[in-house]
Amino acid sequence: MPKQTVPILKQEEKVFQNLEGQDDWSLAGYKKRGGYKGLKKLLTTDRIKHIEKMKESALRGRGGAGFPTGMKWSFMPDPAKTGKPSYLVCNADEGEPGTCKDRDILRYDPHTLVEGMIIGCYTLAAKTGYIYVRGEYYDESSRLQQAINEAYEAGFLGKNIQGTGVDVDIHVHLGAGAYICGEETALLESLEGKKGQPRLKPPFPAGYGLYGCPTTINNVETIAQVPPILKNKLEWWTQHGRPNNHGTKIFSISGSVNRPINVEAPMSIPLKELIETYAEGVIGGWKNLQAVIPGGSSTPMLNKGEAGKVLMDFDGLREYGTGLGTAAVIVMNQDVDVLRVMTRISAFYKHESCGQCTPCREGVGWVYTLMKRLSNGEGTVEELEQLQKLTKKIEGHTICAFADGAMWPVQGTLRCFKDEFERRIEAKEEVA
Amino acid sequence: MTNLTLTIISKQGEVEVIVPQGATVMDAIKAAEQQVPHFCYHKRLSIAGNCRMCLVEVEGAPKPVASCHWPANDGMRVNLDSETTINARKGTMELLLANHPLDCPICDQGGECELQDQAVAFGSDRSQFQEMKRAVDDKEIGAKIKTVMTRCIHCMRCVRFATEIAGVEEFGATGRGVDTQVGTYVEEALQSELAGNMIDLCPVGALTNKPYAFTARPWELQHTDSIDVMDGVGTHIRVDHRAGKVMRIVPRECDAINEEWMSDTARFSWDALSTNRLTTPMVRKNGKLTACGWPEAFKKIEQSLKKVGRDKIAGLAGDLHCAEDYYAFNAFMKETLKTDNVDARGDGACVDSTNHAAYIMHTPLADIEKADAVLLIGTNPRHEAPLLNVRLRCLVQSGIPIAMVGEEVDLTYKYKLLGDNPQVLEDIANSKNSFGKILQKAEKPLIILGSNVLTRPDAKAVLFSAASLAEGIGAVTENWRGFNVLQRMAGRVAALDMAVHPVAGGLETKGILKALSENKLDVLFQYGDIEVPCEMLQSTATKIYIGIHLTEQAQTADVMLPAAAYTEKNGLWTNIEGRVQEAKAAVQPPLQAKEDWKIFRALSAELGKPLPFNNQAQLRQAIVDICAIYNEPNMLVQPEWERPGKAGKMKDTPFTLPVTVENYYQTNEILRASNTMVACQAEILEKRKVEEAA
Ligand code: SF4
Ligand code: FES
Repeated sequence: MPKQTVPILKQEEKVFQNLEGQDDWSLAGYKKRGGYKGLKKLLTTDRIKHIEKMKESALRGRGGAGFPTGMKWSFMPDPAKTGKPSYLVCNADEGEPGTCKDRDILRYDPHTLVEGMIIGCYTLAAKTGYIYVRGEYYDESSRLQQAINEAYEAGFLGKNIQGTGVDVDIHVHLGAGAYICGEETALLESLEGKKGQPRLKPPFPAGYGLYGCPTTINNVETIAQVPPILKNKLEWWTQHGRPNNHGTKIFSISGSVNRPINVEAPMSIPLKELIETYAEGVIGGWKNLQAVIPGGSSTPMLNKGEAGKVLMDFDGLREYGTGLGTAAVIVMNQDVDVLRVMTRISAFYKHESCGQCTPCREGVGWVYTLMKRLSNGEGTVEELEQLQKLTKKIEGHTICAFADGAMWPVQGTLRCFKDEFERRIEAKEEVA
Repeated sequence: MTNLTLTIISKQGEVEVIVPQGATVMDAIKAAEQQVPHFCYHKRLSIAGNCRMCLVEVEGAPKPVASCHWPANDGMRVNLDSETTINARKGTMELLLANHPLDCPICDQGGECELQDQAVAFGSDRSQFQEMKRAVDDKEIGAKIKTVMTRCIHCMRCVRFATEIAGVEEFGATGRGVDTQVGTYVEEALQSELAGNMIDLCPVGALTNKPYAFTARPWELQHTDSIDVMDGVGTHIRVDHRAGKVMRIVPRECDAINEEWMSDTARFSWDALSTNRLTTPMVRKNGKLTACGWPEAFKKIEQSLKKVGRDKIAGLAGDLHCAEDYYAFNAFMKETLKTDNVDARGDGACVDSTNHAAYIMHTPLADIEKADAVLLIGTNPRHEAPLLNVRLRCLVQSGIPIAMVGEEVDLTYKYKLLGDNPQVLEDIANSKNSFGKILQKAEKPLIILGSNVLTRPDAKAVLFSAASLAEGIGAVTENWRGFNVLQRMAGRVAALDMAVHPVAGGLETKGILKALSENKLDVLFQYGDIEVPCEMLQSTATKIYIGIHLTEQAQTADVMLPAAAYTEKNGLWTNIEGRVQEAKAAVQPPLQAKEDWKIFRALSAELGKPLPFNNQAQLRQAIVDICAIYNEPNMLVQPEWERPGKAGKMKDTPFTLPVTVENYYQTNEILRASNTMVACQAEILEKRKVEEAA
């Protein structure tokens, strides 16, 4: 039985009050926690007001890119003017290594998402919402479907919700296991039944998305955070975190920690505090720390010194040349062969590249072979330079951000552990 | 529409260009007469943006943009010469070449390879790639295309062509990332009749021309502009030849006709030009065809004509001749031999030269896209004129309604089947059929009547009713001509223009065949193969065969005269639109073979009544005298409207199609002589068998 965590957030300050699954996930449980209260009022308030409030809340997308949600929503045209339906698509294709937050939302607190979808659809004037769930989350998607069924029965979904005249239907769609389908336009392609490959942008989904209609795609966590933001006073949300980084966030902490955990915590919390409070510290103590990947496998790693200083929010991590990403904190202590970990991550990206555009298709595999060789000390010091240059030939030259995400961790490794590469290369040379 | 002004910065300095709203950065660069390297972009395909070769720096943008799809903006400054641009190109090129085998010396694309050219122009002279290269299994996709898939750069042009233009979803990419492979999903022969275009589209040597493999290098070839004759479209082609031998045939660009596509029958049948040819005159001696010289053959003909009444002589012409040849044959029969028993309508079509409007397409091919409703009658454009079908498909894709009266066939797009016999036309005309209303409402309705309809016993009545329908729905107005008769043979329009049919009560094809079967004729001049079963040409008459191949029909002749194929003569060919186009001779006729009109001219002199022209110029003048449009090749002249056909009773027998999937690759004597085409037909039949068994 793990020790009870010291709560930084009070229960009523949390969006996900059942994230650890200690309570009832079903409609009854969710209602007891205050869910669906005030829904009717939200569905009768002018939807433009909602968008305004989302903008004020400065909620930034929780899927990785951190784009302001209110702004994204304001891009959606009025269906009355376009003559086309609008769609809200929820991206539940959680595939970033280290990230497992959406999974717990889906299985322990699915109604937060359902309620978010209802309000989200209303706010965007969409009558239909899709939730694209990662194929491996089969059980979770069943749980979600059960929650949706409950909501239909209770009159929270379907035609004329709670007598407000608002219609919303939600469909769950299971993916087939490709990481790239978490990229929003690839997700749309996949949802349309095509091969999951990112689309060229522009046009952006807000103008030409699912089936060619205006579409907004948001992460599970983002959508689930909408109802409490709209229901509560603005301060309820902005009391946490720094300006432009407000609110709370689920952090998935894994790796060399005493207690790997998924936890909702305030934004802008110092990384060290996050690890020590919730994950009960690094195995072997902070001094035993080697490096931390702060936001899922595609964010560049931080070394021990940086990890001790950084604040966990979008802007704080940007200062250190990395990013909040999905806030999946992967901790590596001195027992970990970092180069091997990073080579494995490269292998992951090689495997998941969709192969559509040249730099990614040809480059990510090349980077992987170089990583594999160099991390074993096979190669030359000059090749380290080449590897660095190669990542620059790939980064920023592709259709989607996948290749950037595949290159950043490599660049991060070269920045933090160049001497380790060199040591291994020299050791091999000496043997030979 | 507003215009956008952009600045293009290149080595030559800064240039301001103005492009319309909606243009891409690449359009702007082209407007500035600058080059931008690219692979996946192709002006007739959708934009894929996947090769990333066209990256350029737009000032102020955080990263280089793919110019092929990036929208141009007012005030944009595009730098083609900046470090960002140059590095992006070099980087992409290095990555493209990383896994490319660089086997140019043994690659057929060498010398005309976009990757080769652009690597020289925009790449770097060395690579840092030290790893093992990827190798990909080649795919066996039939007799037309050879694959070396290790060379593929995944530009997806082939895939986009197959899906978007050819309309067959046969090609696609399987696998992901570096393991992506392009090919037919299940390894099998391509079924498309346009597959060869993928060879031209493939920027590298991944898809190459299979029968051409390792036979020539592009720089050894001489080029001659010509016109294809495998169907009636009049595709612009380039005949590539070396040392007097045709090595391959490729399309030329022509927006008005074939855009830049070409049917496979046109592309892959060139081997027939040197297979099983008639190369020397022959006469039958002791029951056996024996080679001889021209004088001896002519002697024999002269003898056989001695004391033969002119109504005992007849002439039949096939469908693969140009206007000059038809004219000369016709004149030879009618003026030298004084017989009116001449016909070039081997299928017994009911139209003749008196009404030009009755046997051509009135809508120019390029105007097809303007139509807003289409009715097909007894035709399968996919097999009768594949490139017309490409245009129709494009139209349907844009949402234009299309319906068919006739046999149900796979046209690569969906259409509404209204019925299979002519009586449906009446329902349409009086709007009993719902499609009638659609046609009524359409501003530019299009009717396409297959040429096989003209061979029905009730042909005139059907033609009349279709034409009346066209008039009724507004398909024949001052601004819009939507009535079309689709000929499927390259020579037919010219044959009719030259009036190669009885004009003074002589026997028509049917009559001639009947007379033959009753042994009532003494001499038959057969000019090329006729589309009737060989037995129907069997008789006691002396048969003189003038043609290019030793076909089954040629083998029953008593005298054979070797003529020139379409690549071996300068000739005027008239396409389905009635457009006269000149094909140039690429090579000499083989050995003793001669240009056709010269044969008739010489023979007429031998018989003492020389035809009144001594050279091609005089011959062309004679043609112009009877048909003025031949004075201006390439021009389209809209024919006077005269309602064709004759009112009468239409039967309810279904329309039939002469060309089917089962014989598409074998529909004329050249195709039948081509090994490649025979192989293609066999593949189709094989696939059918498998499908039926399943
Ligand atoms: S086979 Fe040729 S055309 Fe097709 S994707 Fe590969 S390189 Fe492009
Ligand atoms: S030509 Fe623009 S990406 Fe290929």
